[in-house]
Amino acid sequence: MTPAANKSLRPGSFFYFIIPVEENMDSDSPTLWELRSVTKEFPGVRALDDVSLTIKTGEIHALVGENGSGKSTLAKCLAGVHQPKSGQLLYKGEPVELFHPFDAREHGVATIYQEFSLVPTLSVAENIFLGRQLNRPMKVGLDWDEMRRRTSTILDQLAIKIDPDAVVRSLSVAEQQLIEIAKAMSIDSTLLIMDEPTAALGLLETQRLQELIRRLAGQGKAILYISHRLDEIFQIADRVTVLKDGRCVGSNPISELGMNDVIRMMIGLEISQHYPKEVNVTPETCLEVTNISTGTGVEDVSVEIRVGEVFGLGGMVGAGRTEIALALFGFDQLTRGEIRLYGKPVHFSSPSDAIRAGVGLVPENRKEDGLFFNFEGPPNITMSRLEFLVRGGFLSLSKEEQAGREYVRKLNITPSALERSVQYLSGGNQQKVVIARWLFSQAKLLIFDEPTQGVDIGAKIEVYNVINELTSQGISVLLISSDYPELLAMSDRIAVVRDGRVLHISDAEKLTEHRLLSIASGAELNHQVKYQAGSIL
Amino acid sequence: MNRIVNFFRSAIIGPLVALIIAVVIISLTTDRFLTTQNLINVSLQVSTVAIAAIGSTLVILTAGIDLSPGSAAALTTCVLAILVKNMGLPLPVGMLAVLVMGIGMGLFNGFFSTYGRIPSFVVTLATMSIFRGLAFLVTEGHPIFTVSPYLEDIFYGKLAGIPLPFLYMLVLYGITAVFLRNTRSGRAIYAVGGNESAAHLSGIHVNRTRLLAFILAGLTAAIAGVLMAARLNSGSPNYGVGLELAAIAAAVIGGASLAGGHGNIISTLLGAFTVGVVQNGLNLNAVPAAWQNITIGMIIIMAVGLDMWRGDFGRNLSRLFSFGGDKGQAPKGEQEQKEE
Repeated sequence: MTPAANKSLRPGSFFYFIIPVEENMDSDSPTLWELRSVTKEFPGVRALDDVSLTIKTGEIHALVGENGSGKSTLAKCLAGVHQPKSGQLLYKGEPVELFHPFDAREHGVATIYQEFSLVPTLSVAENIFLGRQLNRPMKVGLDWDEMRRRTSTILDQLAIKIDPDAVVRSLSVAEQQLIEIAKAMSIDSTLLIMDEPTAALGLLETQRLQELIRRLAGQGKAILYISHRLDEIFQIADRVTVLKDGRCVGSNPISELGMNDVIRMMIGLEISQHYPKEVNVTPETCLEVTNISTGTGVEDVSVEIRVGEVFGLGGMVGAGRTEIALALFGFDQLTRGEIRLYGKPVHFSSPSDAIRAGVGLVPENRKEDGLFFNFEGPPNITMSRLEFLVRGGFLSLSKEEQAGREYVRKLNITPSALERSVQYLSGGNQQKVVIARWLFSQAKLLIFDEPTQGVDIGAKIEVYNVINELTSQGISVLLISSDYPELLAMSDRIAVVRDGRVLHISDAEKLTEHRLLSIASGAELNHQVKYQAGSIL
Repeated sequence: MNRIVNFFRSAIIGPLVALIIAVVIISLTTDRFLTTQNLINVSLQVSTVAIAAIGSTLVILTAGIDLSPGSAAALTTCVLAILVKNMGLPLPVGMLAVLVMGIGMGLFNGFFSTYGRIPSFVVTLATMSIFRGLAFLVTEGHPIFTVSPYLEDIFYGKLAGIPLPFLYMLVLYGITAVFLRNTRSGRAIYAVGGNESAAHLSGIHVNRTRLLAFILAGLTAAIAGVLMAARLNSGSPNYGVGLELAAIAAAVIGGASLAGGHGNIISTLLGAFTVGVVQNGLNLNAVPAAWQNITIGMIIIMAVGLDMWRGDFGRNLSRLFSFGGDKGQAPKGEQEQKEE
């Protein structure tokens, strides 16, 4: 569930905080890969805009940027998944074109994605040699002895102590991660692209992985390390490239940069936009969440939302904000903790319970989770509370038409929504239809998960106005947004989430984008730990 | 003009056109088609499939599939015969019993397809064998004849000159139409088929809804079975072979999408009649039976194709007359980038 890049839809002008790229005078290791003025577009959005960077052999090169900055697009260009619209990719100084991941593989590029590509029911050796099993010399059949031997060799080289015959399913996530790397290494790769490698790892395993990466770099491999975790990057990287809105705003040796510089490059300096924020908080409590944990990664979260408040959840993608929302909506079950709505303890075993209690959810992915494309007109609005339409035991279609007209008017939705399927509506109108659903269902607490993602500026303002309207009527809002200026402007208080935990709660006006990003990316954490424990390294 | 365009865009137009074309073509080939007697025969022929098609449509609307109606109907005829003839139960009691059994069969299908998390194709493929196997078991392989003097009346009787099966069809289709359009459960069926995730997040009980569809499918299969038994006054484990395919064909020709969420019950009735009419036409023209399968298959392809292409036709037509101020885009809406 990653947000779309919406840089083309923001008003106001930007400054980019750019640190000039230094030619690395003292590095004599040869350049392995170079991107020159690479541009990549998707319909409606420019994911990469004239990006240039170099990756040298034996270099641990970190790639950072906010959500939607183009990091994964860049990685996919190197992996042969996407082809640049303009610009060049150079391998060892020679221009190459990678039309297919296979081409990338031929040039020694191996990618380790967040979702593993191992077959759980096969053994380690079988996985490593998947698709390229060795035949026995002079005989019919596969040479498992040799494959096992070679697997052991690779694992030893990487100091991974795992049995080649172990079934992958029996290994821990961290160990599977290591096998993925071993697999990439066995294909004789020279560039290893790692996308959020430590997302599933604990502290010890992360350290182990970092040692492995350093060893690989020592052997001359280049690593492109994509991560949100600035603390880790500062522990391990040689060089950092920062992307923002598809542009490269800096590519420098880590020794020349401080964490704050990187953060500043990621955010840019913005002329603040005017958000139409109304404060309607009352001292009454709407929602009280105490020490909740779920099986989906929410850990010991406690939060209190007041009536009429806009409570923001900030954090990196994958931090667990949506998981918290889904727990509040009855989609996921609590393993621990308690939820109280208006003082009464509640237990939601399904979204139906939550909806009946007055909770609503505008999901992040409205096409997949929010909208029905097979209906025409009002049903999308009335779906969550069909019981409101019942007259004499049957659904009153005229009542439904009425409700449809009412909310189309209230939210200024284009009138054709009443007659056609939502598939013909713009993103902004579609979003408003989903919001209308929760107004119709008389929600008291409305959770917005990335509400203005992929939405034009006019509709964005309308969403903000709706939020104001809701809070003025005593409805509370839980706002999840990766658009930090939006989050900071529209929330009354903000909780920063990382790894399923709430790290920090404060009034929105006391937070800056810088500080938010700091906490969310672990920079602040690292800062503290460093002072306490000397050095983790 | 708007209304004419809307009519062309409405879901019934495809199957209606198909039926009209079929009727026209056949009446040109033989003058025995458009006689009262023949049309009554067609209705009687179609009634069994049409009723089973109700259940199939409901399941297909939830994005599931039911392959068991034929076997379920066979089992129904056998159990009915045994209860009434062998065990001497009064006919109404026997009929009630098998309808309850029909609900039970639907429950079995539905439970494993929902809470059991086994794909409905697999479950009903299995019950296709299981139900028919049970039919062979209880009858020890032999058909049971002359079940009851009253049983035939259920099929051949008339009310105010109208054949009863025709009335059963109208009543059941009427009830189903109201159910789908005007009840919460009916609406839920469309929601679950249209977007299961959104339905869940809108508070709809997805499993319960699917289960209901299967239960109703079991019930209509049993009703079809009763009609079959009534028509021949017998029960046999060999009846109803191919019923499920005919029922699914009716639904599909009627525009129901196997992906769920699209379709309406009246179109299914039109689809059932289209198949029936074509078969009747082939019979009247003394076409060898082998050609019937081929023809029905071709009709399915053409009818579904027509439905797919009609979408484009309707869109182009509306673009021609530029209706609606909003974007007349291709149905996929904006392609939003999902990159990070």
